[in-house]
Amino acid sequence: MPKSQNINPKVVRKPKFIEFGKIPVNQYNKTIEEEKKNFGKEDFIRIYHDMVVIREFETMLNLIKTTNEYNGIPYNHPGPAHLSIGQEASAVGMAYNLGIDDYIFGSHRSHGEILAKGLSAIHRLDEDALYNIMKNYFGGSALKVVEKGFSGTTKELAKNFLLYGALAEIFARENGFNKGLGGSMHAFFTPFGIYPNNAIVGGSGDISVGAALYKKINRKPGIVVCNIGDASMGCGPVWEGICFATMDQFKTLWSGEYKGGLPLIFNFMNNLYGMGGQTMGETMGYDILARVGAGVNPESMHSERVDGYNPLAVIDAFRRKKKLLGEKQGPVLLDTLTYRISGHSPSDASSYRSKEEIEAWQQEDSILSYGNSLIAAGIAKKEMLEEITSETKELLSQILKLSIDDNLSPRLDLVRDPDCIGRMMFSNTPADKMEDRTPEVLMPIEENPRVKSIKTKERFYRDKDGKPVSKAKLFQFRDAIFEAIIDRFYKDPTLAAWGEENRDWGGAFAVYRGLTEALPYHRLFNSPISEGAIVGTAIGYGMCGGRVIAEIMYCDFLGRSGDEVFNQLPKWQAMSGNIIKMPVVLRVSVGSKYGAQHSQDWTALTAHIPGLKVVFPATPYDAKGLMNTALQGTDPVVFFESQRLYDTGEMFHEGGVPEGYYEIPLGEPDIKRKGTDITILTIGATLYPVIKVAETLQEKYGLSTEVIDARSLVPFNYEPVIESVKKTGKILLASDASARGSFLKEMAQTITELAFDHLDAPPVVVGSRNWITPAYEMEEYFFPQPDWILDAINEKVIPLKGHRPLTDWSTEKSIKLNREGV
Amino acid sequence: MATAVIMPRQGQSVETCIITKWFKNMGDTISAGEILFSYETDKAAFDLESPADGILLDRFYEEGAEVPVLVNVAVIGIKGEDISSFGKAGEAIEAVKAVKDVEAVEAVKDAEVKKVTDIVSEPSIDSGSGRKVRISPRAKKIAHEKGISYSQIKGSGPHGRVLASDIEKVLSGAAAIGKPVSKTGAEFSEQPLSNVRKLIARAMHASLQNSAQLTHHMSADVRRLLEARQKIKNLLTTDRKQQDITLNDMICWCVIRALEKFPEANSHFLDDRIKTFSNVHLGIAVDTPRGLMVPAVKNATDMDLVTLSRELKSVADACKKGSISPELIQSTSASFTVSNLGNYGVEIFTPVINLPQVAILGVCTIINRPASLGNGVFGFIPYIGLSLTYDHRAIDGGPATLFLKEIKEQIEHFSY
Repeated sequence: MPKSQNINPKVVRKPKFIEFGKIPVNQYNKTIEEEKKNFGKEDFIRIYHDMVVIREFETMLNLIKTTNEYNGIPYNHPGPAHLSIGQEASAVGMAYNLGIDDYIFGSHRSHGEILAKGLSAIHRLDEDALYNIMKNYFGGSALKVVEKGFSGTTKELAKNFLLYGALAEIFARENGFNKGLGGSMHAFFTPFGIYPNNAIVGGSGDISVGAALYKKINRKPGIVVCNIGDASMGCGPVWEGICFATMDQFKTLWSGEYKGGLPLIFNFMNNLYGMGGQTMGETMGYDILARVGAGVNPESMHSERVDGYNPLAVIDAFRRKKKLLGEKQGPVLLDTLTYRISGHSPSDASSYRSKEEIEAWQQEDSILSYGNSLIAAGIAKKEMLEEITSETKELLSQILKLSIDDNLSPRLDLVRDPDCIGRMMFSNTPADKMEDRTPEVLMPIEENPRVKSIKTKERFYRDKDGKPVSKAKLFQFRDAIFEAIIDRFYKDPTLAAWGEENRDWGGAFAVYRGLTEALPYHRLFNSPISEGAIVGTAIGYGMCGGRVIAEIMYCDFLGRSGDEVFNQLPKWQAMSGNIIKMPVVLRVSVGSKYGAQHSQDWTALTAHIPGLKVVFPATPYDAKGLMNTALQGTDPVVFFESQRLYDTGEMFHEGGVPEGYYEIPLGEPDIKRKGTDITILTIGATLYPVIKVAETLQEKYGLSTEVIDARSLVPFNYEPVIESVKKTGKILLASDASARGSFLKEMAQTITELAFDHLDAPPVVVGSRNWITPAYEMEEYFFPQPDWILDAINEKVIPLKGHRPLTDWSTEKSIKLNREGV
Repeated sequence: MATAVIMPRQGQSVETCIITKWFKNMGDTISAGEILFSYETDKAAFDLESPADGILLDRFYEEGAEVPVLVNVAVIGIKGEDISSFGKAGEAIEAVKAVKDVEAVEAVKDAEVKKVTDIVSEPSIDSGSGRKVRISPRAKKIAHEKGISYSQIKGSGPHGRVLASDIEKVLSGAAAIGKPVSKTGAEFSEQPLSNVRKLIARAMHASLQNSAQLTHHMSADVRRLLEARQKIKNLLTTDRKQQDITLNDMICWCVIRALEKFPEANSHFLDDRIKTFSNVHLGIAVDTPRGLMVPAVKNATDMDLVTLSRELKSVADACKKGSISPELIQSTSASFTVSNLGNYGVEIFTPVINLPQVAILGVCTIINRPASLGNGVFGFIPYIGLSLTYDHRAIDGGPATLFLKEIKEQIEHFSY
């Protein structure tokens, strides 16, 4: 909500009509003769060659899947193979004009795109550069296999390398592009500008926007192509990605060289079916997909339908669109019309389409018709084209043999090294900055109004005389997070932050107040209300090499970014074979007071998914230290913050929150109060009511309580907790999350396992009720209260003399509630 | 000799099979390997090949019959042969029973294994009252470490759960042991076991369960011993030393001398090794109001008779008063034990070894036996009975007998 742009009622209330410009549909109509000025003979033939390579590669996989054999070579591939037979012209046309600085993202059906982009990159790179890439990738392990006994040129060697790396990846071999951890639907090879394909339909729809943001924000050359299917137009992340990519601010508010649209093409590989659903005529209503661009922005996203059965038409479109992106006119929407002759997968019986339809498309087969037009134009002879096919078959037979040879192409050895995948879940490579250049800021940090204001605050909750400091003078939790973040903005030039109300407002909870003054638009900006895209773009930005802080305003909105948080953010480091790093901090604010959809603690959901680090600090000292560590790392960290705590001061750390930089290692719980009789482990803001409980236990019942603040959920070092339990024999766990399935339950189970013989009572979990969160006025019946904790201790851990319980923690009650599902 | 044809057992879970077809009638000739009948289980069909050449003398079941596995189905032999020993139905039942018996025995074995496990891990059900003992893992661990039985401890935790602090209270003496509940009916009275009783029960049972013990009996002429005792008593009286030297003290003294010559009896058997002590730590069985206790007199080898006597009295008194150091009443404290029932007139008995010790000497009453006094004169000589129980795992019969004989020699040639 920039004050520089006034919304004038006189203007916006004026009657008028929206005029849509024309959206071209299959307007390419050049002949081969006309194209001879754009392509040499070799180019024409190369296009044909690349299409044949893709066709044969896919045919080989189809035969292996359906007959367990190719060219007499037997092999069983139990994994997926979503083939793109019929779509070769679209892939080759797309890749033809792209350099290695141009990144493509794909879908589950992207073998063709990988090969097309790879072949294009090999054509463009000089031999030394090519050889270096191959030699340096995973120590040249794949190169060694294809190089042995090879006597052709480096470019030919690179072609073998590309086919072998892709096929070995599909067959889950360690020499694959991603150590066999990506597989058919996720294979990619970043040195050639091939970025992750995505097994979730439309998964690339917002990630690719993040990649384009990375290029724009960090002034990197190249464009980004998001290759997704027609049916993904029905997916939220795609629509959110489109909205994010077409924000007005790129052209209105971003300034200087940052002004202008994103270098991004949403290339819908429109094969007219989403698995078995017919998008045109059954499951969507756009009639022609390109129409959608008209609803997005005044430029209609420069949308156009291209005949994806003619490679030259696709090349032509990409040449024109790339030029537009160079002029910062992006993003672009392309509806590349094609057809999949093969089934969705080898198990597809094509029950949703007629034989006649398939035959009609086969008659227009792109390779056949393009070949014929080359022959007709005198560019190639039939025999020559046939030779390309037979040479390709021969080459693929060789590559197949290499790929399935268990000695040459073994899988990761999980017997000898059972933890090798575990080691790839996180990169664990701390770095001050992701790139070495001067960060762009608008003022020296000392002049920042908030930094100046913070200087006057008390950094401990009591002053020198022991009196509580007033809120106005108190260095608060929000200041602690701010300090860590602004520090990193002045260290790491790639660091950018976005989310809802991040700029101007300073975040809904004023954590970012002061950052607007410090940072240009491209480093801090407001996003659409698109939680999916907020996280998805951060993922794309991170995987390209930028550090990013994305913000989800309420934990309850995490569901809106479900796929991004559960399927994308945690996966790509390991699925890349650790090629990719993911320096993404996802700030998630946990609410209260606002009822059922604004007050939930969903830490357990994120902690459940392998590949995410999860922290939930409860004090300013911990918040700053953990944020510093999160921002120093290159792993995705979900950083939970409780809205109950933003205005609290530091109550535990002697001397208050240090002004300088310090780190607190992720995963280390902290003893907030020492004790000997019972341990209470808390997550998040529940620390504070538990401190009250500890005081009551001491004063009324003579029990000395050790209070441990978990601080982190993943990773988590159980040793200090076990040590405490060895001492006390008793442990209660408390947090604001609804008890059922909460992370406390996970911790209770683990503690039981690790300290069984030391337990004097079962670990008892006190969480919120398994209800909707009621209104603020009734919250005391929902969130854990000190009385509940005392009652639970009395009933389940150790009877408290003279205690009169207010709530029922009996076995009978527990069984009843569980039986009722509440 | 005729050959019985049994119904085979096709798989562990198969108990019966159905005869689906006979291929031979009674009186038919059959060769080994020829199909005699077909049968099926609930899962599959099979053919049975004849195990022998001969005539099919009898068929005990007809087609369609459900036959228990492993019973006789038919008999093949020579014409006219007596086959009365091959019962049909009756035998079949026997066979089934035999199978069942085997299973039953195995079930019992399983149960025994389980029982042993239960003993090791202390049952949480109090067998006396059937009351479930609730105890925390931490409290249980401490109880095991300290050798405390917790089934009578009144737990202070939720629902009476025994907590670590309850065990600690017992250890510190401020016991939270519940008042034993006595039940008295017209025909019986029931008392829960005391802790000492339980310890004794467990130790004695374990001893008999876990070792290979047997007892040799021998008698020793005690005339010289009795004379010596009188002398020593007189000596002590004149020395104004108010100490009574008992016959038992003297026998213990002799035992120690014998143990010096037979150190293999002064040992602990520890499953994979034998620990032989260089000094004798003599255990002595003492009856106390709370039950049997066996305190040890440590380092008894070098003690003179008077010292030994004093020490034996001292530990026995401590046991009776309940002030004995718990360490001294552990079975590992003593290297050999003497149990004297002579005062009660016991003529012969089989003492139970205090594991891991390898032997125990039972001392019986003195009996006057007719014996040759030499020169054709016969008279009565006082003999004391000696019952040596030893663990055959550690000591063989020969050395055990020689050891017992050595004790006898020491008694008969007592010199002090």
